Amino acid sequence: MGSRARHLRLVPVVAAASVALAALLGARAGAVEEEHDPLGYVVDRAALDDPATVAEGAELFRIGCVSCHGPGGVGSPRGPAITDAGAASAHFYLTSGRMPHAGAPDEQARRKPPAYTHEEIEDLVAYVASLGEGPEIPDVHLEEGDLQEGGDLFRGNCAACHSATGAGGALSYGQHAPSLDVATPVQIYEAMIIGPGQMPVFSPEAFSEEELNSIVRYVETLQGLGDPGGFSLGRIGPIPEGFVALVIGTGGMMLTVFLIGRRRHGEAEPPSEPVRPADASTGAGR
Amino acid sequence: MSTDGDGRRPGANGPGGGERRTRRDDRAERLVVAAFTVSIVGALILAVVYIAGGQAQLEGVALALALGGIGLGIAVWARYFMAADEVVEERHALASTEEEVTAFTAAFEAGEQTLARRGLLAKLGLGALGALGLAALFPIRSLGPRPGQGLKNTAYGDGGRPLRLVDADGVPIRPADLSRSSLTTAWPEGHEHDADASTLLLQVDRERFRPLPGREDWVVGDIVAYSKLCTHTGCPVGLYQTELDLLLCPCHQSTFDVLNGAEPVFGPAARPLPQLPLDVDEEGFLVATGDFSAPVAGGFWDRGRT
Amino acid sequence: MTAAGALTKATPLSRRTARWLDARLGAASFVRKALDKVFPDHWSFLLGELALWSFVILIATGVYLTFFFDASVEEIVYQGSYVPLQGVEMSRAYASALDLSFDVRAGLVMRQVHHWAANVYLATTVVHLMRIFFTGAFRRPRELNWLLGVGMLILSIVNGFVGYSLLDDQLSGTGLRIAYNIAISIPVGGTWLASLFFGGEFPGPDLIERLYVIHILLLPAVIIALLGAHLALVARQRHTQFSGPGRTERNVVGERVWPTFAAKGTAAFFLTAAMLCALGGLAQINPIWLYGPFRPAEVSAASQPDWYMGWLDGALRLWPSWEIRAFGFELPTPFYPSVLLPGVTFALLALWPFLEARITKDRREHHLLDRPRDRPLRTALGVATLAFYTVLFFGGASDVLAVTFQTSVNALFRAFRTALLVLPPVAGFVAYRLCRELARRDRPGATDEAPAVAPAAPEDGASHRRAIEPEDEPERDPASTAGVPRG
Repeated sequence: MGSRARHLRLVPVVAAASVALAALLGARAGAVEEEHDPLGYVVDRAALDDPATVAEGAELFRIGCVSCHGPGGVGSPRGPAITDAGAASAHFYLTSGRMPHAGAPDEQARRKPPAYTHEEIEDLVAYVASLGEGPEIPDVHLEEGDLQEGGDLFRGNCAACHSATGAGGALSYGQHAPSLDVATPVQIYEAMIIGPGQMPVFSPEAFSEEELNSIVRYVETLQGLGDPGGFSLGRIGPIPEGFVALVIGTGGMMLTVFLIGRRRHGEAEPPSEPVRPADASTGAGR
Repeated sequence: MSTDGDGRRPGANGPGGGERRTRRDDRAERLVVAAFTVSIVGALILAVVYIAGGQAQLEGVALALALGGIGLGIAVWARYFMAADEVVEERHALASTEEEVTAFTAAFEAGEQTLARRGLLAKLGLGALGALGLAALFPIRSLGPRPGQGLKNTAYGDGGRPLRLVDADGVPIRPADLSRSSLTTAWPEGHEHDADASTLLLQVDRERFRPLPGREDWVVGDIVAYSKLCTHTGCPVGLYQTELDLLLCPCHQSTFDVLNGAEPVFGPAARPLPQLPLDVDEEGFLVATGDFSAPVAGGFWDRGRT
Repeated sequence: MTAAGALTKATPLSRRTARWLDARLGAASFVRKALDKVFPDHWSFLLGELALWSFVILIATGVYLTFFFDASVEEIVYQGSYVPLQGVEMSRAYASALDLSFDVRAGLVMRQVHHWAANVYLATTVVHLMRIFFTGAFRRPRELNWLLGVGMLILSIVNGFVGYSLLDDQLSGTGLRIAYNIAISIPVGGTWLASLFFGGEFPGPDLIERLYVIHILLLPAVIIALLGAHLALVARQRHTQFSGPGRTERNVVGERVWPTFAAKGTAAFFLTAAMLCALGGLAQINPIWLYGPFRPAEVSAASQPDWYMGWLDGALRLWPSWEIRAFGFELPTPFYPSVLLPGVTFALLALWPFLEARITKDRREHHLLDRPRDRPLRTALGVATLAFYTVLFFGGASDVLAVTFQTSVNALFRAFRTALLVLPPVAGFVAYRLCRELARRDRPGATDEAPAVAPAAPEDGASHRRAIEPEDEPERDPASTAGVPRG
C-alpha cells in the first residue's frame, strides 16, 4: 500500500496530529518473532533423531502426558492415541500451547503460551515422532508461495471457518475456528497437513507443497497487512461496525443535539406577546 | 459548553436587551473564535494532506476538524448570543372552514357534471387509460426469463450421461486425491462457474456411514457427494467439523449430519443437502451418474413438482 | 429592475440580491413570515434533523463515489496497488471499488464516510421514529406524515442493502444470494419475481447494473420526494410541543426560526458531518479487500448484514425449521421470518396511528405531546416491540457472540429463542409498572388543571423545564391525557 510510504513523508508536515495516528496506523499485529526463527520452528529438527533427546522426551511424556494419552501414546478414555501423530502434530500442539490441555477432554484446546521450554518441546516432539509413522515438521518456504494464489485458496478453503480476514469464527456445539492472528508459518502449515481438532486435512494428495506455501504466505501477509481504514474493529464484519454506528455515531450525535437543543437553565424568558395573527395565519414555515 | 446560567442577566440577549458583556460572554466568544480557527486549520491540514499524497486517517480527522469547528462555533454562538426568549404563536385550525369546503365541493361537482354529460366518453377515456396501464406492464416481462426448470436442475442432469467432477481449475478428480477428513469442492466438468452446481466431496468413515435406502451405490468407496448449498437460503455449507462429521452453514448455523444423508440436525434448514450419485469412469475419475437427489439451495413453492 | 431606483452604491449586496430575487419571485413577505415562524424547543425535536443531515452527507459522498465506481460484472484481472489481489480475476465493479479504496486520493475516506453515514442515518431515523411513537406525535393530524416516514424507513433499509451489495465482494454476494432465496420462497409469484429482478437465476448477468440504477437513481429519487413531502407537512401542520405552562393545543411556544433555530440546525448539520468524517477516517468499515471477489461456491465465517438488516438475519436464524408441504407444493422456511415477519412488522407500524385511534376512540387533533408515562399501555407495547426486535438483532450476531464470549452457538440459539418469547412481555410489563409508578408520583398535590395561558412570571423557566424534561412534574394539561384510559 503506497499510502503508508506517502504518509511517512507527511510526518514532518503535520507532526503533532500525525504522531498518534501513525502509531495507530503502524500498529502491526503479532509478529514478535525472534530474528533467527521467523517461521516459528522453535526446535532443532536435526536433533529429533538423537536417542538422548528421545529419552528425555519419554521422561517428560511419562510425567505430563501419560495420564491422558496413555503409556506409549496408545490413548485412554481421556485422550486420543497419538502413536501416529508425528512430529508435526506434537510440534503444533506444544508450540501453540494447546497441549497440555487444560479443560475437560471433550473441550476444545485453546491457544495459550507454551507450557514447556524450547528444549522440552524438542524432547517431547522427538519422543512422539519416535512412536510411529506420522508427518514430519514441514519445510516452509514462504518465497515459493504465490501470494495471489494463496489468497484464492484461502478464501476457497479456509475462509468458511476462519473468516476471510483470518479472525476465526464459530462452529457448532461450542467449537470454534481460532483466529490466525498469531499463528506462525510453521503452525499454519502443520495445521493444514494434520487437521487438528475439527479441522479438515488439506492433504498432500489434494494440495501441492507450493499451494500450501502460498496459503501460509497469504495468512502471513494478512497478519502484517495493517488497516488502511483506521481501527480494524476486530475485522469481524458488520456486527462491531453496527455497534460503533449505534453507540458512538448515533449515541454521540444524540448527546450533541441534547447539548445544542437543551434550554439554558433558569434564564428562559417569559413568553413574549403573540406574534401578529396575520403572520401566523399562512401556515407556511415551521 | 458549560451548563448553567449563573452570571447571566435574564434578557441579556433578548431583542432590544442591552448588550452588557459578562465574563461568560467573553469566554463564549473566545470559544467561538477558537472553534472557527480550528475549522480553518482543519481545512488547511486537509489541503496539505491531499497535496502530499493523501492519507485516510489524516483526511478524516482534518475533515472532522474543519466541519466540527464550524458546527461547534455556531452552536456556542447560538447558545450565548442569540435570542433564547420564548415566543408564542397562535396555531390555526388546519381544516378549512365549512364555507370553503362547500365552495370547493360545488366547484368540483359542477365540473364533474360537465364530464358526466358525456358519460360514455368519460368511461371510454378511463378504459383507455386502464388499458394503457396494463400495456405498460408488458415491458417488465423483458427483465428476466420465465422461471423454468433451471431452479430444479443443475448441469449434472443436463446431458443425460455421466459427467466428471472437476476442481476449480477444471482438473478431474480421482478418488485417491481425497483423504479422510478432507474437504473438496467440485463442479461438473465444463461448468466450473455454475452457481448452483458446487459439490462437496467427503471421505467418510464407512463403518458409521448410513447411506439412505436406495442410495447404497451412490458412493464410491467411502466418498460421498452432497450439494454445497444450504437448503435454507443457499449459502455454501463450507464448514466441515471432521470429528463430529457435521457440516455447518456460516450464514444461519444450519447443521447437517454427514453420516446420515446430510439430514439437518440443528438450525433453520428443513431439508437435507441433496446427494449426488457418484461413480468412477474407465479412466478412474469421479463422475456423477445423474443430477442431485433434489433441487439444490433454498425451497420454492413448486419445488416438488416436476 | 423595477426597484433599481431605490438602490444606491451603499446598499449591501445581500439586500440587493434580495431585491433582485423578490422582483422575480415576489417571495419577500412569504419568506419573512417563514423566518418569523416559531419552532418548539426541545432537544428531541432535533433527532429527525440528525437523520436529515446524515442523508445529506450520504448524497454528497455518494455522488463523489459514482464518479469512480464502475457497475459492471465484466471479468477483468486486477492490476491496482493492493498487492494481495494483483492478478486475481474479478468484476469491474469490485475492481473499481478497490481502486476507490487504494488508488483514488481521498477515495477511501469518502467510501467509509458514505458507509458510516448510511449506518448512522438509519439509526437516527429509528431513534426519531421512537420519539414520535412514544410521545404520540403520530396522532391526528399527523398520520400522513407518519406514513411518509415509515415509507422512507423501508426504502432506506432496502437502499442500504442494495448499496453494500453493489461492490461484488464475497460478503455482498452472500447477502444477494440470501435475498434471492428469500424471493423464491414467496409462494407462486416468488420465482417470477426473482427471475425478473435478477434477470434469470442467481447471480444473474446484469444484477450489478440493475442494483446500481436502483441505488443511485430510483430509490434516492423516491426517498427525496417523500422527504420533501415529509418536511412540507411539518411546515404546514407546525411542530408538536410538550405540554407546559403557556402551551396549549392552540399555540406554538418556542424560538423563532431565524436566527436561533436556524443556527442550531446548521450547527447540528456540521457536527453530524464532523462525526461521520471522524468515523470515516478513524474506524475501518467494510474492508472489501479482505473479503475478496465474489465466488458463488465460497463463503466466509461471520457473514452478516449491516445492522439495520440484523433483525431479519436474526429472524432467519432463530425461526424453527418449519416447512409446510402438500401435493408437491411447499411453503419454505425462509418465507415466515423474512417475508411474513417484515410484512407484518411494517404493516402494523404504518397502520399504528389508525389502530390506536380505533382502540382509544380518540380522533381529536393533538398538538401537545404525551409523555411516555402518560400512556402506559402504548409505552409498554412499544418497549415490548423494541425488546422483540432487539433479541432478533442479537440473534443475528449469534456466531460472533459465541466466539466473543466463548460459548456454544447452539446454546445461544436456545437462549435467544426463549428470550424472544419471554423478554418482550417482561420488558413490556416492567415498562408499564414504571409508567404507572412515575405517573402516580406526579399526581399527589397536582392541580389537575393547568391554566390555559400561564402568567408571565420569572419562575416560568424553572417550571417549564420540568415540563419538557419530566421528572416530578406536578402540573398536567388535561387536554393531553384525555381520551385514553389510564391503564
